[in-house]
Amino acid sequence: MIIIGEQINATRSDVKPIIENRREDKLIELAQKLAKAGATYIDVNIGTGKGTRNDEVDDMRWAIKTISDKVDIPLCIDSADAAVIEAGLEARENKPAMINSTKAEKKHLECIVPLAGRYNTSLVALAMDESGIPKTPEERVAACRKIADWCAKYDVPMENVFFDPLVLPVVTDRMQCLLTLNTLVMIKKEFAEAKTVIGLSNVSFGLPARAMLNAAFLQMAMYAGLDAAIMDPLNKTLMQAIRTGEALVGKDRHFRKYTRKFR
Amino acid sequence: MNEQELIEKIAYNVIQGRVVAEDEGFNEGLEGQPAVTELMEQAVEQNIDAKKLVVECLTGSMEDVGEKYDKGIYLIPDMLASAECVGAAMDILGPRLAKAGIESKGRFILATVAGDLHDIGKNIVGIMLKGAGFEVIDLGNDVSADHIVEETRKNNAQFLGLSALLTTTMREMEKVVKALQNEGIRDKVRVLIGGAPTSDKFAKQIGADAYCRDAFHAVDILRKMNI
Repeated sequence: MIIIGEQINATRSDVKPIIENRREDKLIELAQKLAKAGATYIDVNIGTGKGTRNDEVDDMRWAIKTISDKVDIPLCIDSADAAVIEAGLEARENKPAMINSTKAEKKHLECIVPLAGRYNTSLVALAMDESGIPKTPEERVAACRKIADWCAKYDVPMENVFFDPLVLPVVTDRMQCLLTLNTLVMIKKEFAEAKTVIGLSNVSFGLPARAMLNAAFLQMAMYAGLDAAIMDPLNKTLMQAIRTGEALVGKDRHFRKYTRKFR
Repeated sequence: MNEQELIEKIAYNVIQGRVVAEDEGFNEGLEGQPAVTELMEQAVEQNIDAKKLVVECLTGSMEDVGEKYDKGIYLIPDMLASAECVGAAMDILGPRLAKAGIESKGRFILATVAGDLHDIGKNIVGIMLKGAGFEVIDLGNDVSADHIVEETRKNNAQFLGLSALLTTTMREMEKVVKALQNEGIRDKVRVLIGGAPTSDKFAKQIGADAYCRDAFHAVDILRKMNI
């Protein structure tokens, strides 16, 4: 399982001051903590919703450069703005990166997909378009198909694409989880070389004991073919769910990861 | 790498249970480094004596693995990973050993007896025996006494391993031994038995040659038989 650590997000009250005050030491400390906990990528989202576009460009450049200089781990550059993403990619200086994310929306397809081709990065592709989040798996896959067409046009190989079937809180619609899972299965079937990713914790929004729900959902998604999750690698319940899930779906050769964790 | 370094490195990787370079080992942080397959191919390229490679890289390492398993340091998947390494090494060395006129330690028929569907233990025994240099013919589970005897004769097998995990099916083993006698080939084959309900006493009672507690014990017993 590819684990994309979600903590470095400026909408979090503990991270916001780190970005605003340019606390290099704190940022590096957090990144190291996530890397040590088992993150494969670290997601970096510096958008506080307050600053100007130029502020965000500067913040992203600073955050990516700061982490890249001190922590050897691939980074996931998280923004909806192509200019902010490109600032992060430049600061990354050709080290492994992922763009989070594009939608099947004209503006995104034209500006963000080419960046993934030009910088040879992975790309998170959300199964949604101009009209929002589709309500059926078929429509979500159609959005993925549109992104796939643009990826072909801009030389982004399918193995670099992480399709996100989208996860909505189950609390307001008890069928949401199944909708995501069914979409996941269809994506894996249609785009065999592509990878899949979900933002895990959305599912449990508004309910108690969220880690338990997240862990259960994660394992169901693993069975459906999930390759990556944007999640909290510091959460023990989730990391255990990954180790046990991988062991049971044949993704842990010789049970090395499982036995190392629990022996 | 000189010959001795290469041999030590292969032996180490057998113990670590790393078949190919991308494999993790028992210890952390080994992935990416050449493993048994890559190293053994290099050894063959360097023309290191095949028999020496078997003895110094495989046999001793598996003894070490057996010890670790007995002590509870290694678990079943660790042991299987090492056995898989031996299998991979033997695939590479096989043609060379044959060319050098080095024969297998013998043909070994394995079966779970009639009425019994358990085969995990038997399969582990099979892997370990291959690793120890035997030619293994696995007949599967729920195998009738007649079929076992027929295959033993047809293949000129020197060894027969019988498994049963139920008190109701362990009696089948006795039938197999009797059938071997009736066919007049009992003295041509050594019969080893194993499985949870069986014991040393039971082996003696039904006229088998040995009872094996587990896969390592089986290999150990065969060694003591001077094979």
